[in-house]
Amino acid sequence: MHAMIVTDNLGKQYQDLVALDGLSLQIPPGEIFGLLGPNGAGKTTCIKILTTLARPSRGTARIHDFDVVRQPLAVKKLIGVCPQEINLDRELTAYENLWIYGRLHRMPELAARIAELLKFGNLEERAHSLVREFSGGMQRRLLILRALVSRPRVLFLDEPTVGLDPQVRRQLWNLIQELKLSGITIILTTHYIEEAEMLCDRVGILNRGRLIALDTPGALVAKVGGYVVETLNSGRRQYLLVRDKEEAYARAQTEPTGVIIRQVNLEDVFIQLTGERLTN
Amino acid sequence: MNWFPIFYREILLFRRRLLRLGYVVSALFSPMLYLLAFGLGLGKRVTIAGGTYLDYLLPGLIAMTSMTNSYTWIATSMTVGRLHFRTFQVYIQAPVTATDIVVGQILAGMVRGLFASGILLGLGLFLATGLHLNLMFFLVLLLNCLVFAAFGVILGMKSRSHEDTATFTNFFIMPMAFFCGTFFPVDEMPWLLRDIIKALPLTHTNHLLRYPFWNLESLGSLALLSAYGVVCLALGIIIIRRYSE
Repeated sequence: MHAMIVTDNLGKQYQDLVALDGLSLQIPPGEIFGLLGPNGAGKTTCIKILTTLARPSRGTARIHDFDVVRQPLAVKKLIGVCPQEINLDRELTAYENLWIYGRLHRMPELAARIAELLKFGNLEERAHSLVREFSGGMQRRLLILRALVSRPRVLFLDEPTVGLDPQVRRQLWNLIQELKLSGITIILTTHYIEEAEMLCDRVGILNRGRLIALDTPGALVAKVGGYVVETLNSGRRQYLLVRDKEEAYARAQTEPTGVIIRQVNLEDVFIQLTGERLTN
Repeated sequence: MNWFPIFYREILLFRRRLLRLGYVVSALFSPMLYLLAFGLGLGKRVTIAGGTYLDYLLPGLIAMTSMTNSYTWIATSMTVGRLHFRTFQVYIQAPVTATDIVVGQILAGMVRGLFASGILLGLGLFLATGLHLNLMFFLVLLLNCLVFAAFGVILGMKSRSHEDTATFTNFFIMPMAFFCGTFFPVDEMPWLLRDIIKALPLTHTNHLLRYPFWNLESLGSLALLSAYGVVCLALGIIIIRRYSE
């Protein structure tokens, strides 16, 4: 299948800092692709380049065969962006925010599209309320709805659930899963393990600007083992990766203090690859 | 061209802030203060160019008000929108051109400049008798708003913090407001300063608003103001076209 997004040796350097280092990716249409990594790994830089906000220092990036540097207007017609920071106009209403965005994209039948989206995002009753009166979760939902006004072929969600409580986070996950059914390609950056595992078809793990792993969440986890035995030694938490549950139990018998046995997750993959934790 | 949503957004924000009384007061506070302190204080006693000081001062205050309001609105809106709220990034990621962004922003800045100077003009009609309200007067007022709104775009894009905008206002806009013939004739200044002042746009706006007549000198001033407008507009477009984070 023809890829929706192709990057080749994509790099971005800010003076002495290499923010993104030779990223090569191919993302097929309809996929939810997760970029996972700690803060400063290069996730947002990658999104900025793909959404034409930043120019790459080297390499190329194409969306639906349009070059993001040479054909930015064509690219912008295809994409919807939900940035990490809530950049809605807080002094305008939800409806006005969506209307302005729709007009920027020259959307036909805009009023009907906005009504449809407000219903989809469960914000119909707050359509004419000022955004500054919204809760954090409502603002996040509106931010995603705004990105959808133009019926994008590719949706960029940069840390869409950061700072939200678990209940609101789950609501947004449901929203994203519903979007997947429409066939849209979604690029999602996150440093939440559960989010990547639950939502993404494939995950690319970034560390210090470099892509260090790329596969489905299941395959990445399978590569490092099936289970983890966590122990506490002199106040230091230690992790031991083992093949299966039986081996985990056998290891646990030898430990003098309490142990935790659990299934491997993407955080363990990250630790295995870098020796560092993904989250603080 | 797709500048309308950018213009409309700014106007919606302007309208919402306009409903707060304090906002209008702050926008007109300085010119009103000058009008009351100098205009009414010296107005009838001092004569300049054959008229009262109030007649001399009012066109200058209208020029100054249109300058500061057009410039400040855009420079602040773009600096804060780009660096703090990141609402500017929505434009960059939308299928609009740099020209659309600049035109939308400038028109919004002009509305604000015309609004504030219009209030002052309305008040001035009751106080002064020397205003020549003809086509050229309004053309020059529009052009002044355009020049300084376009200037606001450049500064709004180049500022690295909100303080940069304030610093530039204090070191460039405010001295220009005082030295370019708003309060006293430029010809009174020392020759070197006078030459510098005569190259600045506000000097020509002040002159044209006082003497809005079609003659060679006025056409020269109009041409210079237009050149400032074109250069600032072009620079704004180039800067936004090259924008990269």
